[in-house]
Amino acid sequence: MALAALFLVFALLLVLGAPVAIALIISTISAALVAGIPPIVVGQQAAADISNVGLLAIPLFVFAGELMLKGGISERIIALASALVGRFRGGLAQVSVVASTLFGGVSGSAIADISAVGGTMIPQMAQRGYDRDYAVNVTISAALVALLVPPSHNMILFSAAAGGGISITALFSAGIIPAFMLALAVMATAYILAVKRGYQAEGKVGARALLTTFVTALPALVLVLIIFVGIKAGIFTAIESASVAVVYAVLVTLIVYRSLSWNAFLDAAKGAAKTTGSVLFVIGAAGAFGWMMAYLQVPSHAVEAMQAIAHDKLTVLALMVLCLLVLGTFMDLAPLIIISTPIFLPVAKAYHIDPVHFGVVLILSAGIGLVTPPVGSVLFLGASIGKISVMEAVRGMWPFYLAALIVLALVMIFPQLSLWLPGLVA
Amino acid sequence: MENEQNSAPLGPVSLLDRLANACKIVALTGLVIITLVQAWQVFARYILNNSPGWTEPVSVFFMGMTVMMAAAVGVREGTHFSFSNILDAMPAGIQALVRRLLLALTFGVALLLAYWGMTLALDNWDVSMAGAPIPAGIRYVPFAIGASIMALFAAERLVARQKN
Repeated sequence: MALAALFLVFALLLVLGAPVAIALIISTISAALVAGIPPIVVGQQAAADISNVGLLAIPLFVFAGELMLKGGISERIIALASALVGRFRGGLAQVSVVASTLFGGVSGSAIADISAVGGTMIPQMAQRGYDRDYAVNVTISAALVALLVPPSHNMILFSAAAGGGISITALFSAGIIPAFMLALAVMATAYILAVKRGYQAEGKVGARALLTTFVTALPALVLVLIIFVGIKAGIFTAIESASVAVVYAVLVTLIVYRSLSWNAFLDAAKGAAKTTGSVLFVIGAAGAFGWMMAYLQVPSHAVEAMQAIAHDKLTVLALMVLCLLVLGTFMDLAPLIIISTPIFLPVAKAYHIDPVHFGVVLILSAGIGLVTPPVGSVLFLGASIGKISVMEAVRGMWPFYLAALIVLALVMIFPQLSLWLPGLVA
Repeated sequence: MENEQNSAPLGPVSLLDRLANACKIVALTGLVIITLVQAWQVFARYILNNSPGWTEPVSVFFMGMTVMMAAAVGVREGTHFSFSNILDAMPAGIQALVRRLLLALTFGVALLLAYWGMTLALDNWDVSMAGAPIPAGIRYVPFAIGASIMALFAAERLVARQKN
């Protein structure tokens, strides 16, 4: 009965359009009342999760990403990407993918990626005669790369939702090869479509110009190395690395690039606070919901249910991926990670699927939902930047969906793609 | 899933507008304080050879402040994650009714959280936090304050809807 109350009330409120956090809290209170648990426990669990030390890195990485976005770092990165790959057919599309990958490496956020790179590249591509749907599709697909490269705050979210026992460095390094695969797949798709649609290459850039753009972008790109090496070498914790990222982002944009005004700084802080409020409030509510699921033994029921229908780990993983792809079409990434991890991770562990590998698969599967209708925040933002409707954007999107799904299938089937690098770094 | 698209209630600059602005300032100041406190931890450890124990509880307190203040403003501005496609497709009359119901539920939840936050803060006030001589109950203070403000903002939107 309590289990039914938990899921039915949650589903009903979600369908009615209630804020996710409120739906989570009310459904948990309902289940607590049915199970005879004092409802104050719900408040206690939610408060405990909002005050979880392990989550401190999230607002700080979000803040660093906002500073990069408002501080004009994307322009330097786009110049470097242009010098690197502008010479290929559909040059601006290739620039967009490389710039998204590099910017993802400093922001760790798909939304920041599409805002920073898409905001510049989509209008530029449209001006140069590229179809708007193509410009939007390339850029939103490339933005997904940011979910997998350090300092992806979704990785930290997964680690926190998993109870904090999964190494953030391992997750960061596990995402790198899948991220490059996704970037290459989007580039290849963009190239094939560029040839088909007759888009031209940009001019070739000389070695000196390439070196200049590289040197200009270097201070921004160094950030990812500082974070990665700093954590790995034990110089600082993941939380401290996030604060170092913020301080470094301020120093680079203020002193090196001289592009961060006081108003831009305030805008960045406001943007980061707003995201923090939305994401961490859901985390707190989901913490109480997760506690109730554990109390009602939902994870062990999920394991039993999977054991009844699937016997090998690949089938189980494929079933979970399918669920995540479907849920991702209408749920945003952060709540989906927080809600699905406590249910699916015990299943993955029961089938001896490495938690780090599972984390990468989960984030990629759920992340694809960011670019799918009916609800995909990156798709919506991209379409609005490209000044086309969501339906217009989606019509030509299928080659990019296919590319992302092929990468997902490969990452799912071959755990080495995720686990080789963490093993090497360890 | 997307952020709700309902904007804050329109009207002249009111006390609640000022309160929302104050919440935003507290939230972003909290973020800056967390950054400085954590950066200080690194500086103190390597340069001063002294690892202060207070940085963690202080950071956690300000994270609570940032989250709860921003979450309260999020209720006023309708920016919390939600899935509104089905609601948007409902007939206008039912839609208005459901929106009022959801706001009433948000108001009720916020009031409960505020009450629980206050109760937990008082219950844990005599216990000290690990690492700093700070009452453990202080962790729940942002929860009590933020949820109270959230209830106010939900009530404000509810009243605005009733008037419309």
